[in-house]
Amino acid sequence: MPGGQRTGQDRGQWRRPATGLLIGLAVVAVLFVVRWLSPQGSAGAGLPNAARDFATLSISVVIESLPFVFLGIVLSIAVQIWLPEGLLLRRLPRNAMLRRMVLSMLGMLLPVCECGNVPLARGLMVKGLTVAESMTFLFAAPILNPITIITTQQAFGWDNNILAARIVGGFAIANLVGWIYSRHPRPDELLTPRFQAACAVADHHDGRRGRAARSVRMFVQETSAMMPALFIGAALAGLIQVAVSREVLLALGSDPVWSVLALMLLAFVVAICSNVDAFFILSFGATFMPGAIVAFLVFGPMIDVKMLALLRTTFTAKALLQVSLLVALSAAVLGLAVNYVS
Amino acid sequence: MRRWQGVVLSLIGIVATLWLGLTGQLALYIHPRYFVFSVVMTVIAAVLVLAAFALGSAKVDDHEHDHADTGAGAGRWRWLWPAGSIVTITAAVVGLLVLPPSTLTTATVSQRDLNGSAATLTQLEIGKLSGGDYSAFTVRDWASLLRSGADLDFFAGKTATVTGFVTSDKNDPANVFFVARFVVTCCAVDAQPIGVPVYHPGWQDEFATDSWVTATSTFQANPDAASRVPIVLIPDAITPTEQPAQPYVY
Repeated sequence: MPGGQRTGQDRGQWRRPATGLLIGLAVVAVLFVVRWLSPQGSAGAGLPNAARDFATLSISVVIESLPFVFLGIVLSIAVQIWLPEGLLLRRLPRNAMLRRMVLSMLGMLLPVCECGNVPLARGLMVKGLTVAESMTFLFAAPILNPITIITTQQAFGWDNNILAARIVGGFAIANLVGWIYSRHPRPDELLTPRFQAACAVADHHDGRRGRAARSVRMFVQETSAMMPALFIGAALAGLIQVAVSREVLLALGSDPVWSVLALMLLAFVVAICSNVDAFFILSFGATFMPGAIVAFLVFGPMIDVKMLALLRTTFTAKALLQVSLLVALSAAVLGLAVNYVS
Repeated sequence: MRRWQGVVLSLIGIVATLWLGLTGQLALYIHPRYFVFSVVMTVIAAVLVLAAFALGSAKVDDHEHDHADTGAGAGRWRWLWPAGSIVTITAAVVGLLVLPPSTLTTATVSQRDLNGSAATLTQLEIGKLSGGDYSAFTVRDWASLLRSGADLDFFAGKTATVTGFVTSDKNDPANVFFVARFVVTCCAVDAQPIGVPVYHPGWQDEFATDSWVTATSTFQANPDAASRVPIVLIPDAITPTEQPAQPYVY
């Protein structure tokens, strides 16, 4: 599409912001009216309990994650459009391994939850981060982040080296994944065609419009990728919760091998934020061995059912399968090591 | 269509969150510590969504779309994208805007071990609990004390007033039910059921499962010595009550 034509078209759009705004407000009003007219109270709309709980659990994942995803998108917009060019990336060390190590610490500065990190990592990749580096950031940031470290410390103190194993293990696994994928001959093949296209055209638009308009455009792009993934991920998480009995998992608590695998499965299923997962698993602390808790605290922030849905916006299914297996194996080894060594 | 899907889904989430916030029902889904953060981020997102409408961003990202269509969405299965969008949006409207907001039910209690998670709480807080003001004790406090293995001597003469929803005891459903609550650390997904056992033969004729009650009584030995719950409340009166605004405990 020739540039001149586009600009003319855009100008046409720009003349009618009031109309667009009115349409937007009308949609908001319609949605509020739908909510207003819908049945109130906790009668449950005649649904069976399991269906009600499926809805409640899925909705709670959406309501909990939504603000974090918005925060991630806003930060991603800030990094791509508002921060001076290269403020973050150009100051990174040249050496690839050091670069990844520094990137794994980026969560210290930008303490977003793992679901918010996905749009942020997308933004960083558009700005020139390699695929391997973005993976290192994605997997390290939810663990190496001040809120997660503080809550883990509050929950477990210094007992059983759970905190140390989480921090060191998370750092090591994220950098291992980064190192392995940095050897990939064609890293672009790990990305979905749609995201590759978004990366390829990102530069074309630079400077053509005002920053505010570009921010809004990016918001539309990122929500169109993230929101379907979030809603589908939430529905899956709710469905698994209703279908899989937690007692079965907890019955495996005291075996050094099975406890590790059971808690990793629980982490995958429960899809809870890394900022508070320590408090959650603390309530099982007496039942499970420390290595299992470490495996939960390391595996959960990196891979779970909601994260896979969100990551699928960016990475191919094959790449996600590989990386999930790699992370799961590493987390299991870490958990078993804690169980048998300490 | 596809590029507006994100905006529409965002808007559904935004309206749902704001409405729950305005009507004081956010606590059905998330821990109160997130209320302010959720509402602030939602308002920021609402501004961005309205800006997207005002600027008519639909036209602006045409360029990316041209590239994108050469990818996964192309070919014979192309119709799946709009169909998928419509299904997702419809499900989101039904789930977030049409269904009445609701707490978790007994179905989830049976999926998760009742009182299975209170152990750590007791280890940490038992000292504080046992010296406290018993009249202010909640379901959670009593459940922790019971779970800690304190014997009947400890409970003798102490009166508990507990409010929660009714859920039957797995092992002795005819005689014992629990006055139960969910403990939430982050959001409803991680809710753990806890409860105080009440011995009340024939309770099923008086109270529906999942209905809310308040029971006041001293603790006594379970008349059924073989039961797995040795210490129970045996109240004279159990009062039906409304579901509280914050049904979960934290």
